[in-house]
Amino acid sequence: MPLGRLSQWLLLAPALALLSALFLVPIVWFIAGSLASLGGASEIWGETQRTLGSTAIVKTILNTNVIALTVTLFALLLGYPMSFALSRLKGAAFTLVLVCIVLPYFTSIIVRTYAWMVLLGRRGIVNDMLLSLGLIDQPLALLYNRTGVIIGMTYVLLPYMVLTLYAAMKAVDMRLLQAAEGMGARPFEVFRRVFLPLTMHGVLAGCLIVFILAIGYFITPALMGGPSDMMMAMLIEREIELSQNWPAAALMTIVLLAITLALYSIYSRFNDQSGAEGF
Amino acid sequence: MTMSLKGMRSSRRQFLVGGATLLAAPYVLKGKALAAGQVIVRTPGGVYDEIMRKNVYDPFTEATGITVVPVAATVAKLLAMFESGNVELDLIDTGEGPLIQLERKGALTPIDYGSWKLSKPENITEEYKSEFRVTDFAYATVLAYNTDTFKGDAHPDNWPDFWDAEKFPGPRMLADMATGTPNLEFALIADGVALKDLYPLDVDRAFKSLSRIRPAITRFWDTGALSAQLMTDAEVVTGSIWNGRLQAVMDKGAPLSFTWNQHMLQLQQVAIFKDSPNVAEAQQLIDFMMQPSVQAGYGAALRYSPSNTKAFDLIDPKIVEQMPGNPATRDKAFVQNVAWWEDNRDAINKRWSSWILG
Repeated sequence: MPLGRLSQWLLLAPALALLSALFLVPIVWFIAGSLASLGGASEIWGETQRTLGSTAIVKTILNTNVIALTVTLFALLLGYPMSFALSRLKGAAFTLVLVCIVLPYFTSIIVRTYAWMVLLGRRGIVNDMLLSLGLIDQPLALLYNRTGVIIGMTYVLLPYMVLTLYAAMKAVDMRLLQAAEGMGARPFEVFRRVFLPLTMHGVLAGCLIVFILAIGYFITPALMGGPSDMMMAMLIEREIELSQNWPAAALMTIVLLAITLALYSIYSRFNDQSGAEGF
Repeated sequence: MTMSLKGMRSSRRQFLVGGATLLAAPYVLKGKALAAGQVIVRTPGGVYDEIMRKNVYDPFTEATGITVVPVAATVAKLLAMFESGNVELDLIDTGEGPLIQLERKGALTPIDYGSWKLSKPENITEEYKSEFRVTDFAYATVLAYNTDTFKGDAHPDNWPDFWDAEKFPGPRMLADMATGTPNLEFALIADGVALKDLYPLDVDRAFKSLSRIRPAITRFWDTGALSAQLMTDAEVVTGSIWNGRLQAVMDKGAPLSFTWNQHMLQLQQVAIFKDSPNVAEAQQLIDFMMQPSVQAGYGAALRYSPSNTKAFDLIDPKIVEQMPGNPATRDKAFVQNVAWWEDNRDAINKRWSSWILG
């Protein structure tokens, strides 16, 4: 039975109240207060030009986007086959794989990042193994550089991609694939012309959610990155901790928030469409 | 930045009140922590807390009945507390730099040297005490190296050697901007500046020098823990590091060593937050901490040098040798000019961000 508009809002009210009190109000307060402390509009404009015009922030925005895009791509390449396998599994095997994907969520992200640092170090397990197998004769630089950041972040964000894709794949009517085969399509054609288009909204939703989460990342790049792998969140933290420059931090926050909200509006459009099919 | 803190204080105050209330929530929730008979101390955390608990806090509680509650807080958080008039902390135990910052904002209460009963102010090294701050110990940033990589005498022995990546190849580390004071001093020494001529730092020259060694730097460390880990895991084979952190891993058998040549002396200090709820108890704790016997305890454990000159007599001479500021090494050191850093940090932070991304 469809819910009335009013009861829908009533059900949402507690969550909305919580979000407003703990997220919306503080962030508006922080941004408005920081900028107001500068003085009038011309001072704010001046600080905006200084902050957003600096080479550091331009390069950091670029860095952040390149890292987030690369991570999204790797998560998709790894996640798509994984989700497909998951959507075909049943019973105990399905539960086992699902638990393996979801379980890391219950572990602190710092612990998981440190685990990667043990694996990827110059004398870490991966390099030790490759060296002893004679595959390399110098340790590979896998940590404290861009490679480390990409590996760490892809790992942490992969479950979001897998679960989003799984939902889309589970909804595909398998009889359509059989019908395509029955009409003589080769397996690759079935995939390209039937399965892929039917799961495309999942791909887009998964990519957007991973990208959105990636551009705000802090811990993994801070611990696993090299000197120049600076991301937006790290730069914001520095402005506050080292310079106590709240207005500059507020301006950077606005940039990050704007990118996130723009992408989220695209994401929610796709989600609405896919949701509509269910009702 | 100072500019935003003046003039528009009232609006800034209003908005910070809310923020600081949230920040302070954990202490308020503890409830009892605010009751009389307690001192809330900002500490660096980790092993440091354990050593201080054993050598200072627990004995203090035993002697006075006053409980000590260590909490973590960054300078930004302390300033936010102060700006909002919502001070929930009594004693601040941190580097000289952050305390100068707080002192300049008028956030500290004078130390009541006259009320000391257990310690004698005249026994504290003269340069180590001032109206608002008193040193609990001096520590050093030294040049460390891996003894598996550099055997015998063939190791980097000074900062020009460290900068010579051909003669002493291998990945390196230096302190990051996030520590508050990246190693511009060492960059200048490597470039030929004499220890006595370092300040005011020639920032242009320092960054040019840093650019030369940059390709060999694996990582700029932002915490003491990371620097020790990078050295122990041999992620880097040489680097700048705090002597106490290094000694701790050397004592556990890591193949590491260091030179006292051209080391930088820095101070860890305590100060009392203005308007703090437990000023009297905090004054008592400082008095307790400054006793020779107490300083000998934590100084020996941390390998950091006591500020009370009488404490040295109570420490094993072998351990005194491993401490900075002892007579044998004192002339190889320079003292970090923290006031210079406080005046220039904003500009250097901007410069650092562009340099590191360049």
